[in-house]
Amino acid sequence: MSTTTSPTGHALRDPREVIREEMTMHGVIKAALADGPLTVPDLAQAIGHPAEEVLYWVMGMRRYGHLVEFPDDDDEGYFPYGLPGKGA
Amino acid sequence: MDYDVLVIGSGIGGMESSIKLGDMGYKVLLVEKEASVGGRMILLSKVFPTLDCASCISGPKMSSTINHPNITTKTYSEVTGIKRGADGRFTATVKEKSTFVDWAACTGCSDCQMACTVAVPDEFNSDLAARRAAYIAFPQAVPKKAVLDREGTSPCIGACPAGIKAHGYVSLVRSGKDEEAFQLVLDATPLVGTLGRACYAPCESECTRTKLEGPVPIRLIKRFAADQHYAANGATPSGPAVEVAAPNGKKVAVVGSGPAGLTAAWQLARQGYQVKVFEKRSQPGGFLRHAIPSYRLPHEVVDADIANLTSIGVQIECDAKIDDLAALKAEGYDAVVVATGTQNATPMDVPNEDAAGSVNGLDFLADVANDKAPDLTGKRVVVVGGGNVAMDAARVSLRLGAADVKVVYRRTRAEMPAHHVEADDAEAEGAQFEFLVTPLEVLAADGTVTGVRLQKMQLGAPDASGRRSPEPVPGAETTVDCDLVISTIGMSPDATLYENVVTVGRGQRITVDPHTLQTEVPYLFAAGDVATGATDITRAIGAGRRAAHMVDRWVNDQPMTGFTALDDRIDTVTHDQVLSRQTAFGHRNPIKGAVDLAALPRDFHEIESPLSEAEARSGAGSCLDCGVCSECQECVHACPADAIRMDKRDVETEVEVGAVVVSTGYKLFAADNKPEYGWGRYANVITGMQMDRLLAPTRPFNTVLRPGDGKVPERIAYISCTGSRDAQVGNPLCSKVCCMYSIKQNQLIMGALPLADVTMHYMDMRAAGKRYDEFYEQAKDMGAQYIRGRVSKVTEKENGDLVLRYEDTEGTGEIVEAEYDLVVLAVGIQPNRDVERLFTDEQLGLDEYFYVAEPSEDVDPGVTDIPGVFVAGTASGAKDIVDTIVHAGAAVAQVAAHLERAAVTQEAEVLA
Repeated sequence: MSTTTSPTGHALRDPREVIREEMTMHGVIKAALADGPLTVPDLAQAIGHPAEEVLYWVMGMRRYGHLVEFPDDDDEGYFPYGLPGKGA
Repeated sequence: MDYDVLVIGSGIGGMESSIKLGDMGYKVLLVEKEASVGGRMILLSKVFPTLDCASCISGPKMSSTINHPNITTKTYSEVTGIKRGADGRFTATVKEKSTFVDWAACTGCSDCQMACTVAVPDEFNSDLAARRAAYIAFPQAVPKKAVLDREGTSPCIGACPAGIKAHGYVSLVRSGKDEEAFQLVLDATPLVGTLGRACYAPCESECTRTKLEGPVPIRLIKRFAADQHYAANGATPSGPAVEVAAPNGKKVAVVGSGPAGLTAAWQLARQGYQVKVFEKRSQPGGFLRHAIPSYRLPHEVVDADIANLTSIGVQIECDAKIDDLAALKAEGYDAVVVATGTQNATPMDVPNEDAAGSVNGLDFLADVANDKAPDLTGKRVVVVGGGNVAMDAARVSLRLGAADVKVVYRRTRAEMPAHHVEADDAEAEGAQFEFLVTPLEVLAADGTVTGVRLQKMQLGAPDASGRRSPEPVPGAETTVDCDLVISTIGMSPDATLYENVVTVGRGQRITVDPHTLQTEVPYLFAAGDVATGATDITRAIGAGRRAAHMVDRWVNDQPMTGFTALDDRIDTVTHDQVLSRQTAFGHRNPIKGAVDLAALPRDFHEIESPLSEAEARSGAGSCLDCGVCSECQECVHACPADAIRMDKRDVETEVEVGAVVVSTGYKLFAADNKPEYGWGRYANVITGMQMDRLLAPTRPFNTVLRPGDGKVPERIAYISCTGSRDAQVGNPLCSKVCCMYSIKQNQLIMGALPLADVTMHYMDMRAAGKRYDEFYEQAKDMGAQYIRGRVSKVTEKENGDLVLRYEDTEGTGEIVEAEYDLVVLAVGIQPNRDVERLFTDEQLGLDEYFYVAEPSEDVDPGVTDIPGVFVAGTASGAKDIVDTIVHAGAAVAQVAAHLERAAVTQEAEVLA
């Protein structure tokens, strides 16, 4: 089982386990981004998963062309990610 | 001698050694375990103190290495053993691991990795992001060729007697590729819907997830894919569901339309054969239709599966009993496949067995399937036997209205051959069991059954099957009153079809070569239960595939080999192998099918519900990717160069060399061995190598982001000497490069993130060397802060920020806490102890820190304690890139001297 719970409210899962789930999450993430790009924390909230896990999935999808990043226009320190061809 | 020098490892030390030796005219064999040369340097952002691009420096060396006329490079290969001979030369065994890609054809286009359905941590990005099971190591890889990461055959695939790629279709459904999943099963057999319902799923029994909380629902995922396909395309397709080869002018007859015959017909027809199936009953399907009850396998599902065959031109002639196999040959069929199954029920051989109301299970089930079901309303039924047919007969009897159904079996429940699920379900529906009894007589009055007289039994010693043999209990008998006796004690093939043509074996089976399924009459093949005795659907399908393959080989006068689907699978990975890849596993509630098990069911509606789409995705998502590559074939379909070669295998060769250069590099300290710093527990604590990847041009993220939430970090801390100069973790040595690579990263971060504050917590700043201290001063001038004092602990705040606790040794001396967005651990270098396995007959000497020893390093750098073996780079101790290259140069000089000395000696011996 997983290690001690951290102050962020949950223990980190093994990266291999999280990454393995990327394929299952493609549909969920694409659906959540159908209305426009979201930052990782906002996407995490939308799909109900920890932000660090969502980051693995977003970066995997970005690498293989399923997602693209958009400019951090509000300068909040978080880039929005969206579907290719669907701008912010 | 094959090569003058063997160089092991293609990091900067190995490449430099190889190039220089090649330039001198020596023939070099360079062996690299990864798919690309370059080692770690190619993965760095820049190098210190010049801030030159690491790729720009490495790239030309990588290219020179690969293209040098005197260097033969074997990447994705390992040296598994080296022996020194009496003449001072070495024999090395080199294993070229299969890439499963024809590199001569591969163009490095990436289409395979784009199509791949398996995501794994990318070791070339320090696990910060995913790569695919089909992958190119990194964008600047040399050679830039794809590899399929196949650790072995997944246990689910290895367990399937039909050779169906269960892991493949599970990963496809996981990826939302339901039609592709259907097509993958269809590639093996047309009976996709049937298997999704009636297969006993040996794949699930071997599923590694069973060792956690329960298996992946593999069978139901297959049913989901089949249901999706038939719902979208209709159950009677108007056109072929697959590509079919052009007609080849050859004809094959298949006798019998059960799973073996239908699968053989399917495979042959797809290869261009004109195939005709002869079925003696009025409807095709064999036991699928006539023995498996429709509440388990609806007839419309069998019909839909069979329509796959007819859609590609297979003719099925029903009510066509074949009596003369030779006549088929005379009619022009090039080959005949006998797949008639086990049609004959084994008699009980007891008195009154032919009384009215005494039937065998096969006839009983066939009558029900053909709308000739007897009315059993209120009747009492005794089923004799303990196999799956017994369970089916009992449950069908209940559905026909029987008031009471009793299964009598001569052993105990533990020995029953019926699948345990079938027995459990029969019991749940109201069947009763009486064990340790065997029939002595069917009781009859006026020729009609009134009951069964039973002999009580006890278990004796185990028989040949390992089951304990039942033995009569002398004088112990009992009777059961009943209106119907159904005998299901066994079945065997009907040999009348072939007994005059070929040898009949044990149990009336047709005799075949088990590998080729060919009989002693060359044109005659046999597949399925007729050759093996009663088995199950998957074995019949596997045999059908094999028979089709061998028929094709024989018809075309080819060697009877090459049935790779079952005969050439790579070793199955073990459960322990799979489970050892992770430190922990999250719990997932197993997805199970819902079965409607009512007591005394009275209709034949399908009792098992399909998975919902969410259940199918979630169930497939629980797959552990045991073999890594799922064999889903998406890369095969995507590759424009037709370069994927699933049948490639490892190749081991022996080479003779004159000298060996060990340039196996180093290992990085595993940061989780310093638990007080939180790596692996806090998402925003990373290692220096991970930061180098974030700063590299080929970075895994779009910029430097913290992994916890994708935030651009504004406060970044470094902790130096993580795992070096630390006797507590077993590494008292300074790693020599950590201070400098941290300073390099400090500067690069301030360039990439101009608003970021960078602070390094250090013990001593070791910046000795030309331009190194100046580099440090430059970083300070740019704004980086350097605080002396060892960090004792890192803790995480709720928002993912990190608090460092340290002693302010240069200020007040107090314990201070500082808060950061991101913490980078400057991890140290450790020896790569893989070198200990290189030499098989003698040990390569190591120093007290387990680096390769140089006994006289001050006067003879690069020389080890084995004559003719040399060491280059960090295999002998921590070095930066410049020192590694210098050290490699020293090793090269030593190698040249050794080889020339040997040549001179040899020449002198010849002259003498």
